[in-house]
Amino acid sequence: MADALHDQIRNFILENYLFTSDTSALGVEDSLLGRGIVDSTGMLEIIFFIEEQLGVKVKDEEMIPENLDSVSRIAAFVSSKRRAA
Amino acid sequence: MPDTLLHHFDSAAARSGSATALAWRETRWSYQDLRTAIAGAAAGLAARAPARGARVVLLLRNSPQYVALYYGALAAGLVAVPLNTQERASVLMQQIEHCDASILVGATDHPEWPALSAAVASSGRTVIQVAPRDGEDALQQFLRDVDGTDGAMPAFPEPQELASIIYTSGTTGRPKGVMLSHANLAVNASGIVSYLGLTPADRGLCVLPFHFAYGNSVLHSHLIAGAELLLEENLAYPHLTVQRLQDDAVTGFSGVPSTFALMLGRCNLREFNLRKLRYITQAGGAMPRPLIERLRAELPDARVFIMYGQTEATARLTYLPPERLESKLGSVGMAVPGVEVDVQLDGRSLPPGEVGEICARGASIMQGYWNNPAGTQEVLKNGWLHTGDLGHRDADGFLYIDGRSVDMIKVGAFRVSPQEIEEVIAAIPGVEEVAVAAMHDEMLGQAVKAVIVRRDGAALEVRDVKAHCRQNLAAYKVPKQVEFVSVMPRTASGKIQRFKLA
Repeated sequence: MADALHDQIRNFILENYLFTSDTSALGVEDSLLGRGIVDSTGMLEIIFFIEEQLGVKVKDEEMIPENLDSVSRIAAFVSSKRRAA
Repeated sequence: MPDTLLHHFDSAAARSGSATALAWRETRWSYQDLRTAIAGAAAGLAARAPARGARVVLLLRNSPQYVALYYGALAAGLVAVPLNTQERASVLMQQIEHCDASILVGATDHPEWPALSAAVASSGRTVIQVAPRDGEDALQQFLRDVDGTDGAMPAFPEPQELASIIYTSGTTGRPKGVMLSHANLAVNASGIVSYLGLTPADRGLCVLPFHFAYGNSVLHSHLIAGAELLLEENLAYPHLTVQRLQDDAVTGFSGVPSTFALMLGRCNLREFNLRKLRYITQAGGAMPRPLIERLRAELPDARVFIMYGQTEATARLTYLPPERLESKLGSVGMAVPGVEVDVQLDGRSLPPGEVGEICARGASIMQGYWNNPAGTQEVLKNGWLHTGDLGHRDADGFLYIDGRSVDMIKVGAFRVSPQEIEEVIAAIPGVEEVAVAAMHDEMLGQAVKAVIVRRDGAALEVRDVKAHCRQNLAAYKVPKQVEFVSVMPRTASGKIQRFKLA
C-alpha cells in the first residue's frame, strides 16, 4: 500500500515536472526544491494534487518542507493524515 | 564621496558595524562580518583574475556567500555576472562563453554545478567551489573557500567603470548581457532608498532571486541604507514566509504579482500580527486589480508601492506613491529620482493620452549590451533607452502600461523570448515547424504555449516536446501547453500570426 502511494506520487512528479516515466530520474528522498524539480508554483500544484487526487486536505500550516519536499515525505504526510482521519 | 555602491556600502558598514546586515537560515552576518567577507572575496578573486575588468560568473542561490562574492568582485575591479539559478548548464555555458568569463564561482549544492563546473574547467577557466555553509562557522569557511583569509579591502573602482553584466532574454532568442556601471547601480539603489525611506531601522525580507534585476535592487538598496535583509530562496512555503514576517518583525517585503497571488492564495494575512510591515513593493508586471485590493484590505497598515522597471535601466524606472494608489489605480506612477521618462513615437514626445513607446534616460540607464553593438543601437537611440513597452501618460504625468511593442512572453516576472524556445523545439526530430506564443495563466499572468506542425509520419507526442524543453531550458520556459496543428496561421505575406496561436 505504501509502495503504491510512493509510486502514485512519484509518477505524478515524473509526468508533470520531468516529463518521463523513467523512475530512476527521481529518488524518493530527493529534495524537490533543492534539485530544482519544482518551484513555488509547482509546489502549489503538488498541494492541489494531494488534495484532489489523494483526497487529503492540506492545512496552510502543514505546508512545510518536512511534509512536502520529497516523495517519501509527501507519502509519510499523506499516510499520517489518512490514519488520523 | 564617489557615487558607487561600494562607497555607500562602506559608509553604511562604518555606521552600522555590529548591526545585522544579512540573515539567512541560522546565519547572521553583521555589517562588519560582511565587509570582512567582501574583502576576502575581493582578494581571492583578484589573485586569480588575469586582469582588471575580467568577468566573474556566480552560480549561487540567495545567500550571504553570494552577496560577498558579488560585492567582492566589484571591489576587486572585476565584473560580476550573476547567472540565473533556474537555467540549465548548457544555457549557462553559452553565457559564460559569450562574456568570456575568467572565473566561475558556484555553490556545490546547485543541481547544475557538476555539469557546469566540469565544462568550465575543461575550457581552461578557473573554478571556485563555495560550500553553502550555514551557522557560526559560515564566515570562516567562506574565507577558506575563496582563499581570502587575510584579505584587506582594496581601493574601489571609479563610478564609470563596468561593474556587472546581467543576462536577460532578447528578442532574437540569444540572451543579451546588460552592462551596468558602478554609477548605474549606485544611482538606482539610492533612488529606491529615497522613495521607500529606507533607514538602518528597516528589516526587509527578500524572496526574489538576486540574479534578477528586481532582487538585485532590493539587496543593494538595503545594504547602502544600513538596513537588515532577511534572505529566502523562494516562496514555496508561503505560510512559513508570512510567519517569518511576523516573528522577525519585518518592515518591508517585495514581490511580483505571482508572489502575492501565492501568498494570498494560501494564507489569511489577517491572522498574523504584521503591524511592523510598513511597506510592500510590487514590480515585474501588472498585478490584477482584485489582488491589489485584497492586499490592501489584508494589510491596511502597509504602504503599497506599485513600480515599473527594466534590467536595461538597472532596475527601477517609475513608482506610484502609495497615497496616489487609490486615485491612480492602474498607473505605474512617475519617474524615480535620477531618471526621466517619456512616451515617444518616431522620436517625438507624445502628449497625454496618446500611446507610444516608453523611453527613459538618466544615470541608471545601462552602458549597452555586452559585445552586441547592433542590439545596443536598437534600444539606445538619440540618448534614450527604448524599452519596447507601450504606454501613455495622463494629464497629471502618471504613466500607464499598455502592452509591448515586441514579441516577449512574461512568465511570472521573467521575460521569455519566443524565439529561444522555438529554436530549442525546432531541434527535435519530427518537428516541421514551430511557433511559440503567450497564453493566459491564472497564477503567473502568462505561460508559454507551443504550436507545432509535425513532419509526415513523425510520432511526436506532447511529453516528448516538454521533456526535450526541460532538458534544455529553465522550468518556467517549458511550454505549459503544446498543440499540434496541420498548418500555421499566416498573413498573406507568409508571416506567422502569433496572436492566433494563444
